[in-house]
Amino acid sequence: MVGPSFDPTPGDAPSGTTSAADGAESASGSSGQSGSPGPRSITPTTVKDLRDAVTTGTVLIRGTGTATTWGAPVRDPRTTVSLTGMDRVLDHRPADMTVYVQGGIRLDVLQAELATRGQWLPYDPARSEATIGGLLATGDAGPRRLGYGSLRELVIGATMVFPDGAIAKSGGHVIKNVAGYDLAKLCHGSLGTLGVVAELVLRVHPLPQTSRTVMVRDVNTEAAQRLAWALTRSATEPTAIEWCEPEQVLAVRFDGTSDGAAARAAAARTLLSGSLAELDHDESESFWFSHAARVIAEPGDTVLRAATRPGVDPGLVRALAAWAEHSGVKAMLTCSPATGGYTVRVTGGDAKAHAELVKNWRASVEAVGGFVMLRRRRPGVDAMVESWGRAPGGVEVMRRVKGNFDPENRFAPGRFAPWF
Amino acid sequence: MDRDSALTAVLTDATAACGPTLRVLSGAAERRAYDTDALTAHRVQPGLVLLPASREQVAPIVRACLRHGVPYVARGAGTGLSGGALPAESGVVIALARLNRILEVDPDRRIAIVEPGVTNAAISAAAAEHDLYYAPDPSSQIVCTIGGNVAENSGGAHCLKYGFTSHHVLAVETVLPDGSVAVLGSDDIEAPCYDAPGYDLRGVFVGAEGTCGVATRIAVRLLRTPEVVRTLVADFPDVAAACDTVSAVIAAGIVPAAIEMMDNLAIRACEDAVHAGYDRQAAASLIIELDGPGQECAELFEQVSGLCSAHGCTRLRIAADAAERAAIWAGRKAAFAAMGRLSPEFLLQDGVVPRTRLTEALGGIARLSAAAGLRVANVFHAGDGNLHPLVLYRAADGEQPAAERLAADIAELCVALGGSLSGEHGIGVDKACSMPKMFSAADLTAMDRLRAAFDPSGLCNPGKVFPTPALCGEARAGAYQPHPLEETGKIQRW
Repeated sequence: MVGPSFDPTPGDAPSGTTSAADGAESASGSSGQSGSPGPRSITPTTVKDLRDAVTTGTVLIRGTGTATTWGAPVRDPRTTVSLTGMDRVLDHRPADMTVYVQGGIRLDVLQAELATRGQWLPYDPARSEATIGGLLATGDAGPRRLGYGSLRELVIGATMVFPDGAIAKSGGHVIKNVAGYDLAKLCHGSLGTLGVVAELVLRVHPLPQTSRTVMVRDVNTEAAQRLAWALTRSATEPTAIEWCEPEQVLAVRFDGTSDGAAARAAAARTLLSGSLAELDHDESESFWFSHAARVIAEPGDTVLRAATRPGVDPGLVRALAAWAEHSGVKAMLTCSPATGGYTVRVTGGDAKAHAELVKNWRASVEAVGGFVMLRRRRPGVDAMVESWGRAPGGVEVMRRVKGNFDPENRFAPGRFAPWF
Repeated sequence: MDRDSALTAVLTDATAACGPTLRVLSGAAERRAYDTDALTAHRVQPGLVLLPASREQVAPIVRACLRHGVPYVARGAGTGLSGGALPAESGVVIALARLNRILEVDPDRRIAIVEPGVTNAAISAAAAEHDLYYAPDPSSQIVCTIGGNVAENSGGAHCLKYGFTSHHVLAVETVLPDGSVAVLGSDDIEAPCYDAPGYDLRGVFVGAEGTCGVATRIAVRLLRTPEVVRTLVADFPDVAAACDTVSAVIAAGIVPAAIEMMDNLAIRACEDAVHAGYDRQAAASLIIELDGPGQECAELFEQVSGLCSAHGCTRLRIAADAAERAAIWAGRKAAFAAMGRLSPEFLLQDGVVPRTRLTEALGGIARLSAAAGLRVANVFHAGDGNLHPLVLYRAADGEQPAAERLAADIAELCVALGGSLSGEHGIGVDKACSMPKMFSAADLTAMDRLRAAFDPSGLCNPGKVFPTPALCGEARAGAYQPHPLEETGKIQRW
């Protein structure tokens, strides 16, 4: 059998905190020169200090710095506020299946803490070392989005610090709650432009006894679509379905009890056809690790994220290959057929070639009602193509939201250019 | 312009834009039918009721209201329990009952696109031929509409495992309060995305209680019908034993599809009304349902049955077939209607407590009930700590003020125990005055700022969610103020 991992990145292990822009880790403690116009870095440890840090000047909020390149570049922030000093679990209540944390806790650290009580946050973005607040602000999600939802479904309470210094909460500690507006939803995908997520309450789940991965090889676009639909229409309840190109592998994950997951994986194997394999534990870990590495990519790469309606659109996959060939670059993608989304990593070629690919493929995606944003780009690309393409509905409301919460446009100015 | 002239102007503009298919109810008797929702203690006569014949007619109506400064509220089936669809005084009701078409069911993508007046149950019925269903199942699902579910972020018995309306709505086409039309969560309602870029406005809209615009088309996510469903009813000698069983099930790492609890008063009312086979003598009963793939469901169901027995269950009834399961649920879902047998009037509360504080909460409710001299029946979603205490009273005996006070005290007790005022019914006008018990002035200001971004003119379902002097009088005593230690992270409010 051929090993399950595809080559994530020529010769390199994946790493999350990579881009040049991510490089300068902010110093701990408050830096000097407060009141001077020069840039400063602050790492507060309390909500109050956090509030004091953000009430004047332009502000860039960062966690572990794994997504500072997402969206359009922020223009000259005066204050960089690092949340890494607010990295504690405040209250884990295993019997209530909730955990209350500071926004700067890393996801992997949180998972390790939860695991000691047989629990987890069923959420597997590629950037496992990112902070939970940063993951909410980036609206990121991993393959298990299919089975468990995204962070927006798992956050049940939040404390936010807004640009005017207000410390406001919404939600609470209970998993069912409709009192008041859900401000955490507002922060989902806000990329630090509205406020800082200082604290979160999350709904946790019992750790599944086991996880199994079934892989099918030589799956072309049409087959990927067909097999994905066969799976979602079956009662096998996969928690992740991912298709990768150019490797043409379809990977399907089942979480559950030992016997239950085995039975579902077996049922899936009879549904699927072609070159099938069920991965052992190490192979499975290795595959999902390399999958994450592709999503994260490396400095100098361009990474596009497309949101579309569910499905593997053969037209889009063909268009990507054709535009990549046209521009002389290499494009590798992962697609989540059941929830609709593509992450494309572009390597090789110069900035002009990357920008050309972004423009061309974005047009293809937008023609079928989708959206393409840039998560990373080759230096020079920004001068040639916007980080955001077509805006979703309600962008006028987004502008007003931004204006109401941050009238001086101090938080991450420019992040959503050209939308606002 | 006075309100009467403004209403006349709205009517003129709306009929000019919509033509003769727009149904207009302007007579006093016709309008009276819309003066309340299922929270009948509150009644306000609307000035005009408009029933658009198509979704295209909604935007011109909203624009007409905007132009003439008239408040409006959208209305579905009127089953809401917090007064969310209560009209503004001499305002406009936009009744969406005629927008009741299921536009598309896509079995591969597992998405249905529907109009807001479609009933919750109709979506599942339309999807059933593909072995799909729409998961949220509020008790009123036979009649309540998806538009109302979106406004209230409705839950139901099965949201312990499957989540709320918010988890199942991918995109909403709305007429925004500025009169424009936007698809939130996508740009094209026929191409809904799971994760559209930008602020999650769809997430804000769902559960905003109709204050952020009027939904005209909704794209919902469908789920595969579970391979197996197993349901049991377990009777217990007291409420505490039932609560302990719930904790034990959760501690075992099991997430049932539903765990419902009824106390003796509720059991008797339901049994008398529906004859679901409940034991009228039981002090407390749990309905526990597991669903999913066959192998796992069987394993876990075995475990749950064992845990019930281990915690002193006096009778374990396992549904033998779909018909028996349906009967068990019919009893539970009839609970509120059945209360008519116990009392001419009742108020229903909807507070939530952390599940581990259920016993404490029930004890507190019993004390408040005794002190008020009013009976309280309890039917609730035990798995997620969502209580539904029913305060029974006789208006004819002048008990209504005491009942209202007791209901508010119960909701606020839930907040004091670290919970919430509302699990699924919404705040509406019912609990708006209790909001300062749960949220600080800063919290409410931030929420209001968000509301204003959607509705700068403040005409879209005003007077809901937020406490206003008109509704609540002067600032209520005891409003939450953050403690300085809380701001420094040394103590917690929740």
